[in-house]
Amino acid sequence: MSKAGAIKSSAIKPGDVLPLSPVIFSILLALASSDKHGYAIMKEAALPEGGGVIMGPGTLYGSLDRMMRTGLVEETGVTDNERRRYYRITKFGAQVFSAEAARLSRVMGAVRRKALLEAVRS
Amino acid sequence: MKTLPAAMLWLYRVALVAYPRRLRLAYREQMLQTLRDAYGDRNIGAVHFWFRVYKDLAQSSFTERFNMMRDFVFKAPIAFHTAALALVLTLLGGATAITMQQMLRRGANQPQIDMAQWYAGEIGAGEAPGHVIPPGYVDLEQSLQPFVIFYDEQGKPGPGTGYLEQRIPVPPSGVFDFVRMHGSENVTWEPRPGARVASVVRRINSKTTGFILAGRSLRLVEEQETLLWRIVMGGWVVVMALLLAGASLLDRAQRARPSAA
Repeated sequence: MSKAGAIKSSAIKPGDVLPLSPVIFSILLALASSDKHGYAIMKEAALPEGGGVIMGPGTLYGSLDRMMRTGLVEETGVTDNERRRYYRITKFGAQVFSAEAARLSRVMGAVRRKALLEAVRS
Repeated sequence: MKTLPAAMLWLYRVALVAYPRRLRLAYREQMLQTLRDAYGDRNIGAVHFWFRVYKDLAQSSFTERFNMMRDFVFKAPIAFHTAALALVLTLLGGATAITMQQMLRRGANQPQIDMAQWYAGEIGAGEAPGHVIPPGYVDLEQSLQPFVIFYDEQGKPGPGTGYLEQRIPVPPSGVFDFVRMHGSENVTWEPRPGARVASVVRRINSKTTGFILAGRSLRLVEEQETLLWRIVMGGWVVVMALLLAGASLLDRAQRARPSAA
């Protein structure tokens, strides 16, 4: 996590924590559609459409811990058992996710407009 | 669905010690469950899987410990800088004290080095040891005066001025063996517990063969070393106390600032 790990959500705007690291973005992306437990997040993040980020349990729970402290995600309180807890994106997390998605979209828009991919390939 | 071997689970549980305690206690069971799920669902070989898991563990535990340290520095900058300054001052003070101790110890070999060289030169030039070494009596335990002793090729004492209980003491035979091979040796010799001598032994290998030993009690040097360490330790305690007091005052001033505003 870049800036998001060091500051509290109450004092900052979503744009202040951008850009997000690929791990944080793919966790938010995984939680954007529905609440999930750790392994489900990990599995979805590894998919190409989930960011293609391969992470282990250490990276996942370290990131979730920082994201909870920053206010990007929270535990739902729902558990299959004590070992499998569910996480959801917070309102602030959703704002940060939208801001990051918009930023990436602007970058990709510029790449398409200027036909940079074709220019690099040729 | 593949089942995670108990031994591998146990090993991973043990390896979690690499993470900061707070994180480990909060997420250990979830991490183990995620590992079970990932192992059961894996579509790669076991070796590749474990390589990936432990690579992640090494990287993320380093990141977490680094973040923990960074948080500590941000939360308690005065404590961090005080600890860093204390460490630097301790290392500097320790290095200075060790340098001074070494200088004292090396200084203890003078004038024995010159004496051993001179007597070895004279005897090597053909003078008889009994003629070159003047009569004298230096008690190794009581006196701080330097003394000189000649030993023959077998290590038996000849004329000399150093005595311990009315007898000329003999160093361990290993000292003569070493000097026989290397020509000379500076050695701390303890002919009796508590009676330590800074001695210089040189080989004589001409018409007369044997060894010349020049020595001096280390009592004074050891007293100076003890005094040096007392000063260093006392100074260290005072500096650390001042540092703590300064840090404490600074911390109070910083805490008082927002309430005064």
